[in-house]
Amino acid sequence: MTAPASDQTRTRGRRTGEQRAPWILLAPFLLVFLFTFILPILAAVGSSFMQVTRSGLFGEQGVTQEFAWFHNYALALGDGSFITSIGRMFLFGIVQVPIMIIAATILAFLLESASARWPGLFRAAFFLPYGVPGVIATILWTFLYVPGLSPIIDVASWMGIDIDFLGPSTVLWSIANIVTWSYTGYNMLIIIAQLKSIPGELYEAAHVDGASPFRIARSIQVPLIAPALMLTTVFSIIGTLQLFAEPQVLQSVSPAIDSQYTPNLSAYTTAFAYNDYNVAAAQAVLIALVAFILSFAFLRLTNRKDQ
Amino acid sequence: MTPLTRRQLLKFGLGAAGAAALAGCGTPGLTSVNAAATIPPASPSSPVTLTYWAWLKDLQKVADIWNAKNPHIQVRTVWIPAGAQGGYPKMYSALAAGGGPDLAQIELRTIPEFLLVNGLVDLSRYGAAEHAATFDPTLWKQVSFTGGVYGIPQDSGPMATFYQTEIFERVGASPPTTWSAWAEVAAELRKQKIYIDVFPFSDASVFTAYATQAGATWLTPTEDGWVINMRDDATMSTARFFDAALDKDLVSTAFEAYSPAWFAAAGNGTIASLTDASWADALIEGISGGKGKWRVAPMPRWEHGGFGSSVRGGSTTAVLANCRHPKEALEFAAWLNGSQEGINGLIEHCGIGWSANPKFIGTSRMEPSPFFSGQNYNQEVFVPASTEQNPDWSWWPVTQQSLNILADQFRRKPGGQSLVDGVVKAEEQIMSVFQNKGLSIRKEEA
Amino acid sequence: MTSTSVTNSEAKADTQTASAPAKRAKGSGASSKIIVTAILVVVALYFLVPVYWVVVASTKTTADLFSTNGFWFAPTFALWDNISAVLTYDGGIYIRWFLNSILYAVVGSALATYLAAAGGYALAKYRFKGNNTVFGIVLGGVLVPGTATALPLFLLFSQLGLANTYWSVLIPSLVSPFGLFLCRIYADATVPDALMEAARLDGAGEIRIFHQVGLRILTPALVTVFLFQLVGIWNNYFLPLVMLSDAKLYPITLGLNNWLSQVNRLPEFYQLTTGGVLLSVIPLAIAMIVLQRFWRGGLTEGSVK
Repeated sequence: MTAPASDQTRTRGRRTGEQRAPWILLAPFLLVFLFTFILPILAAVGSSFMQVTRSGLFGEQGVTQEFAWFHNYALALGDGSFITSIGRMFLFGIVQVPIMIIAATILAFLLESASARWPGLFRAAFFLPYGVPGVIATILWTFLYVPGLSPIIDVASWMGIDIDFLGPSTVLWSIANIVTWSYTGYNMLIIIAQLKSIPGELYEAAHVDGASPFRIARSIQVPLIAPALMLTTVFSIIGTLQLFAEPQVLQSVSPAIDSQYTPNLSAYTTAFAYNDYNVAAAQAVLIALVAFILSFAFLRLTNRKDQ
Repeated sequence: MTPLTRRQLLKFGLGAAGAAALAGCGTPGLTSVNAAATIPPASPSSPVTLTYWAWLKDLQKVADIWNAKNPHIQVRTVWIPAGAQGGYPKMYSALAAGGGPDLAQIELRTIPEFLLVNGLVDLSRYGAAEHAATFDPTLWKQVSFTGGVYGIPQDSGPMATFYQTEIFERVGASPPTTWSAWAEVAAELRKQKIYIDVFPFSDASVFTAYATQAGATWLTPTEDGWVINMRDDATMSTARFFDAALDKDLVSTAFEAYSPAWFAAAGNGTIASLTDASWADALIEGISGGKGKWRVAPMPRWEHGGFGSSVRGGSTTAVLANCRHPKEALEFAAWLNGSQEGINGLIEHCGIGWSANPKFIGTSRMEPSPFFSGQNYNQEVFVPASTEQNPDWSWWPVTQQSLNILADQFRRKPGGQSLVDGVVKAEEQIMSVFQNKGLSIRKEEA
Repeated sequence: MTSTSVTNSEAKADTQTASAPAKRAKGSGASSKIIVTAILVVVALYFLVPVYWVVVASTKTTADLFSTNGFWFAPTFALWDNISAVLTYDGGIYIRWFLNSILYAVVGSALATYLAAAGGYALAKYRFKGNNTVFGIVLGGVLVPGTATALPLFLLFSQLGLANTYWSVLIPSLVSPFGLFLCRIYADATVPDALMEAARLDGAGEIRIFHQVGLRILTPALVTVFLFQLVGIWNNYFLPLVMLSDAKLYPITLGLNNWLSQVNRLPEFYQLTTGGVLLSVIPLAIAMIVLQRFWRGGLTEGSVK
């Protein structure tokens, strides 16, 4: 299509084209990324270092804003409820993430074993909850948690068991159940995809060696799905720290969930209910830092084990 | 899709500059609209349209009554989630964005919070004083701060005791007139495995109302800042009383009032009564099979003084800072909440609480109620209750946060921390919230 | 660095990928078949119980909802009344929410996929200064919590007059750092340099090579990225919660929660909420069953086609 040109100019044109091309291709993504990620983050970091001082009963005699160094961070870290919420998420993550990943792995193995009947049907059933938005999943489970509505509580009480899904000591695990319900099937599918990519010759070789199915799972399948497991674990850790919709929706039926139940809820409350944008920004920055450190530590740890 | 156009790119560039500016001075709500010149009323020839955010259902029907008569001031209502459950965050963010509605439903206790972010128009600059006489002076005081008026009272919630006659008769009790009599009835009911009422840990406004009745005033605005006193006798004795009631298992903490579990318990008779605001009547009417079983009596009194009743809830119609027609907005708000037409409309369509106009409680509320055993309870109980209020109570700029702090402390009651200790700790925390906002606060000297 | 370790292991897994499906373990007996199937049935019950409950609940009147057992139908069958109430309440706002969700999800994820593909392809197929820096920064974006960006983003959009518009939800949905990450891996593993070189010799420009060679080869990956982003936007709650105040712009998640938040004062909203949830889950259930094969095909089989 281009007009014939001498070899030299064509090469030169191509070189500059090749230099410019990646930036042209990246430009739309980077522009939106800059606009929706980088700038807001910079703004958040900036405002986390600012402080507002008021004089008078409501600041009617003057409001000033000044640079506050780490004052807001000190407030966020000195806020018992915020620290408790991070601790709560650790507890949640330590219990829920392994349960979910292990359950997903076992389900993947069962579905991929020759013993399973109707694997397609089961796979679809397990995966279905992933498509249900967290809010709607929580609404669904809310109905099964609320006394008076929940048939589960009715059935349990016939058997003489009193369950309270929404009490102070249980509601965290009720949330864990919703998250597990939503994401197990999704994680399972990722693991299945990885299992399917294991070359058939490996299995045949194992059979020739007389390896048991359990042995095959341990020596061949688990090591080969490790990358997928790692990826899903990292995303689950990040997801745990960002827990918001589930507790926020459950709040309307569970008095045990306070306005700072999770770190994200805490930041949201501080910003939008208490109007303390600066402390909220500091909290958000802290959440991001914790997520970053955790994911980094996890990847480091697993990489070391591999070597 | 084609890549972004040049104009869009320009917009992004402007956005980038905007964000950079924000990073430096991004905190919203630092300037006050009440320092600027007042906005003159629009000329009658150019009609104005006012937007009104509220969580009252069918409010548009009431607004339509006004709209039909006032073609030059048209009101369009928008339903939003109730207050702290989403309505306020929405308003705050709209204000921060330099927008928002002209009028909004704001609870009495939240007015000072909106003052803190310069979110409200001072209506005294637009002639609010001429409406003052229409409204209950206790409520008017709660919308008046630092010489201004920041909302038109809409309704309130004078409190009384709703009880199931048959269950009380079963233990030979009449509605208790004092809190110690209440505790005795509660103990009798417990023998029948019935609770007299619930005590919510997660909603501190109930405890606050009881302490208000006892005569507490937790925060007082003064010339040189806020004065806090949550360790006064009234509050401490209220806390001690409910500590004892909880320790003796006289009240249920398994669920809160109006939750599905509560409706079930009230329906099957394991909850005998409820001490709450006048607007609870509509909710109690939702108890299945409750018709004819309930009556209303004045709430119990504290022996050592205090007031005959207390108050829980109550809203205002406020004019938000970015309103472009405050004069017209005030006119509508005064009509809506002060006129007979407006009050009747609000009761019929929206089911508001107790009328803020002491001279008119609403036509339908002058009738005996078939649900409440034919009792004319509004005239009989709530009219007196609305006059026996603690007149000194004032809300403060961090009410919601304070109630949350208090609730967080109350939640430790099952773990062994007394309500008394919880209140004392909450006082310290509330003080530091004030200080962190850069407001001056001191403890009242004993 | 975080990014590189994930990248390496993922890429390794990709190069190992073979097209043949795993051979099933042979010789499992009938008894193990029954046990395994029984386990799977029990697990399936767990996943389906909430859905079953909402199906049952949406056939009941509000009174029956509280007075009859939740796992079985009530004598009065009120499903059609409930559904018509859902569809007609407030001038059919539910349908509007549903269409909004579709708009946000389909338009957002289509554009996001295109942007991620272009970016991932550029990072994988060109060696240029800043390549790794860009990739590292973008991956870091995955870790930033929604709350950190939502508030400043909201203030930013407010100043541009974009808050409380369709754009305020659409524009942030256009970036998928995870999509870029996947696209880079796929492009790295699947787009042959030789093919690009051949296209260059034919005189095609770099952008055209991307559209005609790159996009075609990347298609299986794009389906995955598209679906990820589709579900991500469909499930989105926080961003619209912060951005939108006009109920007409709500996606279905926000709308239904709006209804749920009213049940304490107005019990009739139980019926609207259960009916609304049911109607929103049905299309999702169908979509998930149909689309799950694409998930299977997507994540690690990039090199197959």
